[in-house]
Amino acid sequence: MEFSFTPEQLMFKEQLIRFARKEIVPRVSEHDLQSKFDFDSFRKLGEFGVLGLHFPEELGGSGADVVTTVLAGEALGEAGVDAGLTLAYGAHTFLCADTILCHGSEEQKRKYIPKLASGEWIGCMGLTEPGAGSDVASLSTRARKVGDTYILNGSKMFITNGSIADVAVIYAKTDKDLKHAGISAFIVEKGTPGFSAGRDLIKMGVRTSHTSELVFEDCEIPAQNLIGQEGAGFLMAMQTVEWDRSALLAPFVGGMTYVLHKCARYAKERHQFGRPIAHFQATKHKLADIKIFIEAARSLCYRIAWCKDQGRPLNHLEAAVAKLFMGDWSLKPANDAMLLHGGYGYCHEYEVERYFRDSRLAPIGGGTSDIQKKIISKLM
Amino acid sequence: MNFDVNEKESALVARLKKVIDQDAENKLKGLRTGDPLECLNLFMDYLGRLAETGYLEPGVEDGKHSTTLVAAQEALATMSPSLFLAIESSTRLFGRLVSAYGTPEQKEEILPLLLQGRYIGCVGLTEGGMSIETQPFDTTAASSGNDFIVTGSKDHVINAPMADRIAVITRADENILVTLARTESSGITVGERYTGIGYEGTPVASVHLDRVTVAAQEVMGPFDPPDILGDLRRWEDQVLTSASLGLMNRSFQAALDHARKHRRGGKPIIAYQEVGFKLAEMLTIRQTAQLLAYRAAWMDESGDRERDILVSCAKTFCAESAEQVASQALQVLGANGLAKGNPAEESYGSAKYLQVAGTSSEISRVNIGDRILERA
Repeated sequence: MEFSFTPEQLMFKEQLIRFARKEIVPRVSEHDLQSKFDFDSFRKLGEFGVLGLHFPEELGGSGADVVTTVLAGEALGEAGVDAGLTLAYGAHTFLCADTILCHGSEEQKRKYIPKLASGEWIGCMGLTEPGAGSDVASLSTRARKVGDTYILNGSKMFITNGSIADVAVIYAKTDKDLKHAGISAFIVEKGTPGFSAGRDLIKMGVRTSHTSELVFEDCEIPAQNLIGQEGAGFLMAMQTVEWDRSALLAPFVGGMTYVLHKCARYAKERHQFGRPIAHFQATKHKLADIKIFIEAARSLCYRIAWCKDQGRPLNHLEAAVAKLFMGDWSLKPANDAMLLHGGYGYCHEYEVERYFRDSRLAPIGGGTSDIQKKIISKLM
Repeated sequence: MNFDVNEKESALVARLKKVIDQDAENKLKGLRTGDPLECLNLFMDYLGRLAETGYLEPGVEDGKHSTTLVAAQEALATMSPSLFLAIESSTRLFGRLVSAYGTPEQKEEILPLLLQGRYIGCVGLTEGGMSIETQPFDTTAASSGNDFIVTGSKDHVINAPMADRIAVITRADENILVTLARTESSGITVGERYTGIGYEGTPVASVHLDRVTVAAQEVMGPFDPPDILGDLRRWEDQVLTSASLGLMNRSFQAALDHARKHRRGGKPIIAYQEVGFKLAEMLTIRQTAQLLAYRAAWMDESGDRERDILVSCAKTFCAESAEQVASQALQVLGANGLAKGNPAEESYGSAKYLQVAGTSSEISRVNIGDRILERA
């Protein structure tokens, strides 16, 4: 076993941290307070090459490997980019664009990937429904083939980037009598008649990402917007899990590193009983617990990434372990960071308040902790 | 980056599994109140077998940890926690100490025998009421002609009842001297073998030194305390980290086997979420601990500047996780787990030892916190 990054990977990480600190982080707090998506920052991520990092160069990407791509996510978190923007990036790049890249036709790739890589277009993915979360087989959105078109009816829920997306990858049943094998994936563009986004949901955390309902009312799309074959949608959705358990989790690890630095600096500056609170053992214990979480969690993400780079099929047990640990074990360090700041930790100005709220998504989004336990206990 | 177990790692583990019988732990525990000579003979037998596999060598002469060593340690700590702790105290603590700080003559005399499995060493570090963080040792080594006179007491000395030599950590003015006392020397009294929770097959006792004469050529030092104590602490923590993995493996496996076989309501209890989910949490902690332990070892091997903080993180997380996994295993096992000799029951007691031995969880967190604050 060995756990090294290449010098190039580490240099890229440093460059990205510097870029993000200068170009993105100064506006994070304001956008979070207003629950506003930062379009400028998103496009800057595109210009820097983050949005299409692992896409082929001929389609506007950089051809990076998966480990480097995950490292980019960690770098964004470490720089202080908020979990809302990194979630929006994740939904755009890994859940939407990567599905088109891996399963779409050449025409679909040429049409969508360069625009998604640059950030000119924003992507989203619609799988979850009001009545179908982890139980994907019970999807009720229907896609009925009529001549050279498909007619979509139904709705999607909790869709990251839903209201701002230019293009969506939508999962719908083409055969309602089949379970997983009846699910297909489609590309739906913004402005298509019958396709609309509901209001943005008011969320506890990750507020700079817009989350909304998507509604399809006799939404007619060209048949060539089907991705791959009919019935192949479930497997496509499952393939995004590899990204979900690595690249989408990495910003949480990086974010915790950012929080740790914030806590350490605060502990040195804040005086109580005539000395900095950094002198108290209880403060050091909190810092240590955050550090231990970071180091414990990090390798779980990179193990999934490294295996994907080797071309191996996803190890569902390892993926669930990574998600479960990140979800359930991140709550305490996030809480510790807030408590260490005392009353200030409860206020917006000190950022740890935002991290505390944002961390609450980790055991829910992308498959709840209970679902991960279910997967693990079945695979043991 | 490479997350696969390599050929070297798996080959050493395979050799180990051939020479250590599954009943080793029970045999060692069975001798804890019996004839000390019989106990010594059994250890020497295992030591010899381990020497043949090449297990004793890694990390002794260069003082470095490695993923290969952790893989082998994890395997031995899983097969027999008590044997593991005794063997490691002799090789990776006593052996490393001699290798890193001994004179050429001391190394020549001791290390070949140690690595051939024909010699047992122990390290006398802990003292009653002493904190290596803040207080000096009470045990002293005073110069007297060509000899040193050692006086004091050491507690919780692993292998003391059967060791050939004891490396006694002593104070000499502001420095540290390590005296390599022969256990049969006049003035050395080894106390009764400890009995308590955990690691019941490992011989542990106190050592009292009443004006013990040690020849100058059998003394190492003087050394600057932070250097030598820092090394000792790190080596001990690395051993205890691997020990934690062994305990987790044992208690998790016992719980998993039980949950698959034990049936209630017409189905194995693993089918119930309240059991299956516990096992999922245990497996998650175990896998996370493994990765952290291996990465900390890799950092030591590669000379990474983050090594010390990673070793502390790994020791703290793994030791506490060992207790957590054992505790959940006991819950899954029900009354079966509470029976004396069940791996979960044993691991639960032993895991507590791992949190207080070496650098305790509390001191470890303070150390980690200090390092973070230094950089802020």
